[in-house]
Amino acid sequence: MTTQAGATVFIVDDDADVRLSIQRLLKTVGLRAELFATAQDFLRRNIPDAPSCLVLDVRLPEVGGLEVQHKLAAAGINIPIIFVTAHGDIPMSVKAMKSGAVEFLTKPFRDQDLLDAIQQALQRDQLARRQQSEIAELHERHKSLTAREREVMELMVSGMQTKQIASALGTSEVTAAVHRGNVMRKMHAGTPAELGSMVERLRLSSNR
Amino acid sequence: MANEDVQRTLEELSRDLQESKARLEEAQRIAHVGHYYWNLIANRVLWSDELYRIYGLSPQKGPIDMAMVREMIHPEDREFVFRTAEEALHSEARPNIEHRVVRPDGEVRIVHAMGTVKRDASGRPYEMFGAVQDITDRKRAEETLQQTQVYLREGQRLAHMGSWAFNDSGHYWAEELYQIFGLNPENGAPTIEQYLALIHPQDRASVSETIQIMYQQHCGFDITKRIVRPDGQMRYVRCVANPVVEQGVFKGFLGTAIDVTEQEILTQELRRERAYLTEAQSLAHLGSWACNLVTQKIFHSSEENARLYGFDPREEAIPFDRFYNTILTEDEPALRAKLENAIRTGADYDVEFRIQRTDGAIRFMRGIGHHNPSQEDGEYLGITIDITERKRAEEAREKLRQLEADLAHMNRVNMMGELAAALAHEIKQPITAAVTNAGACLRFLEMERPDILEAREAASGTIGCATRAAEIIDRVRALFKKTAPQREAVNVNELIREIALLLQNEIRRHSVAVHLGLAENLPEVMADRVQLQQVLMNLMLNAIEAMQGVSAHLEINSQQTDDGQLLIAVSDTGLGLPTARAEQIFDAFFTTKPQGTGMGLAISRSIVESHGGRLWASSNSGRGATFRFTLPYEESLRT
Repeated sequence: MTTQAGATVFIVDDDADVRLSIQRLLKTVGLRAELFATAQDFLRRNIPDAPSCLVLDVRLPEVGGLEVQHKLAAAGINIPIIFVTAHGDIPMSVKAMKSGAVEFLTKPFRDQDLLDAIQQALQRDQLARRQQSEIAELHERHKSLTAREREVMELMVSGMQTKQIASALGTSEVTAAVHRGNVMRKMHAGTPAELGSMVERLRLSSNR
Repeated sequence: MANEDVQRTLEELSRDLQESKARLEEAQRIAHVGHYYWNLIANRVLWSDELYRIYGLSPQKGPIDMAMVREMIHPEDREFVFRTAEEALHSEARPNIEHRVVRPDGEVRIVHAMGTVKRDASGRPYEMFGAVQDITDRKRAEETLQQTQVYLREGQRLAHMGSWAFNDSGHYWAEELYQIFGLNPENGAPTIEQYLALIHPQDRASVSETIQIMYQQHCGFDITKRIVRPDGQMRYVRCVANPVVEQGVFKGFLGTAIDVTEQEILTQELRRERAYLTEAQSLAHLGSWACNLVTQKIFHSSEENARLYGFDPREEAIPFDRFYNTILTEDEPALRAKLENAIRTGADYDVEFRIQRTDGAIRFMRGIGHHNPSQEDGEYLGITIDITERKRAEEAREKLRQLEADLAHMNRVNMMGELAAALAHEIKQPITAAVTNAGACLRFLEMERPDILEAREAASGTIGCATRAAEIIDRVRALFKKTAPQREAVNVNELIREIALLLQNEIRRHSVAVHLGLAENLPEVMADRVQLQQVLMNLMLNAIEAMQGVSAHLEINSQQTDDGQLLIAVSDTGLGLPTARAEQIFDAFFTTKPQGTGMGLAISRSIVESHGGRLWASSNSGRGATFRFTLPYEESLRT
């Protein structure tokens, strides 16, 4: 079992005993927990830029667990969620899992099941965060390109050779080669294939 | 010569005398007249032969004994007869009386006796001579005539009928006629003008016209009109007149007048009653009839009766077949069987059937027939009622009742489910916390360097949470207790029937044959009606569900035990009890059914025990199981 130092587990459950017992369990694996009695309390909290996950009771007063999941997604917050419920049925769990929940546990759950789910959730969060920062870096590199360099990059990704690019842009082959070198350098791309994958990821993220 | 002449003359005279005496006697016999001499000096009485015969005696010579004569005069007349004779002796009066004679054989005769007294020169009476006539036959004829007249008068008076005649010799009015018109007989019969004045103004013109026609055409009439008596009273009078024609010659009129006021009022009342009855029948959709079901002859059918069957009441004498043919084919055999049975046993009947009118409308009818035992076989009188509206209302009501029952059932089932879910959720929270705390506790202890302090806290957290779980259960129980004690006198049999009715849908759906063996006159128990309903419903639903796919027979019995309890048994022919786990079925959450909560029997037992009874189950010797429970009635009634 790997523990993520500095990771936070948010626990939203209207039952104080349940909240405290989960906090105590997390303590045994050295995880920090933040406790909330209602969904509103949690939604008011700014999620820190650190690995975290959410243990969310389905049946909560006023704003229910599934609604919290929906609101977070709408706000673009991709925190992994583990649902727990004392009264779960199959349609409810299917809905939750389809919306990206990590796990759906029914109370009372085995302590190991919860810990495993939290571990999985934090790993998923870590991965997501790494991907997120990589994309951010790619966007930075993309921004440093000139307009001509972006044009050249698009043509490169479409599979054109330097000569073809020059004729497409109506410049000399030498000028095209200079642009090409700049693109590879600024984008930190080792090979044209690597550049293609970068452009693909940029497109996917800006489409979101 | 002279002597011879005298002798011859005497002989002739004597012969003449004899002859005339014989003629006299003959005459007396024919006229029933006898005569007597009464010598007052010697006090001797001589009777003629006929007088003897009048008195019923044989004629004899010589005087008759006065004492005997006295005896034979009717006792009531005796004093009067002798007083009259006595008076005649002292006055100039001639006795002339009628009196009765009692003959030796007891026959009473009436005689007319006359006499005359003879006196000497000094005026002293010396003899009474007289005649006695038997007038019995004449008297009887007179009496009969008188009687007849009395009867006639009396008859007219009783019948309120008076006769009248109008002819050449005048205008005759019987005494009763004056009575009818309220007139004084002394004033004589009224003139035509006076007569018309007595007629009710509304009838006067037509009566006047009738009389005119009567005179002009010599024809009779028969009219009923109103008259107004001088005292203002109105009467109905029926007048009948007939012309009298003798040998082709018109002689006048003969007629009667009858006071028909009572009949007329009665008739009007009858007419009104009949109208009311018709109206009432129409309002109630009820027709009356009388007929012979064997000969199929209808004696009476009210207007509404015809209308109920869709016929026009103005139609005359609708035959039996037309009524009978309206009956729906599918209802006809059962109806015919019932009627035939009733006719055979001479019993009354009460049947329901449907008819189809000629306009196509189908109506529900109820027929009630009352056998008329004094008449021929098959004679019935009765009523027909259109009960279509009632039937439809009943059907609607039945549907509604079914719906309500279904709803009630659904509510109960839902409530149980809801309650179980809520309870589960509530209890799962502290249990989750307890389990998680316990897990944490173990982990603190299993660390390389066990954290005893944290482990202790986690353990005490576990205790706290488990305690809380128990408290929740107590709270739930307390909640039930609060609503529980609603004790009232409950008739258990009624309750059983109620639930059986409530579960009719299930019973039908699963083709269960239900038999209720309920002991009569069971004492009531003080109990919570709703809770007992729950128990019965539970046991019966269990039984029905246990019998799926098998020949289903549900039996519910109730009886009274010797020790002051009611014993109710619910038997099925289902799968029976799970072997070796017979007692476990009463544990909470124990269930053999995929959708069962496992609470039914646990709750049922808890309810029965709260009423001081017991609930247990046993396998039947054949198929299935029997659930029995007791309810003490003496104890519960005391509390």
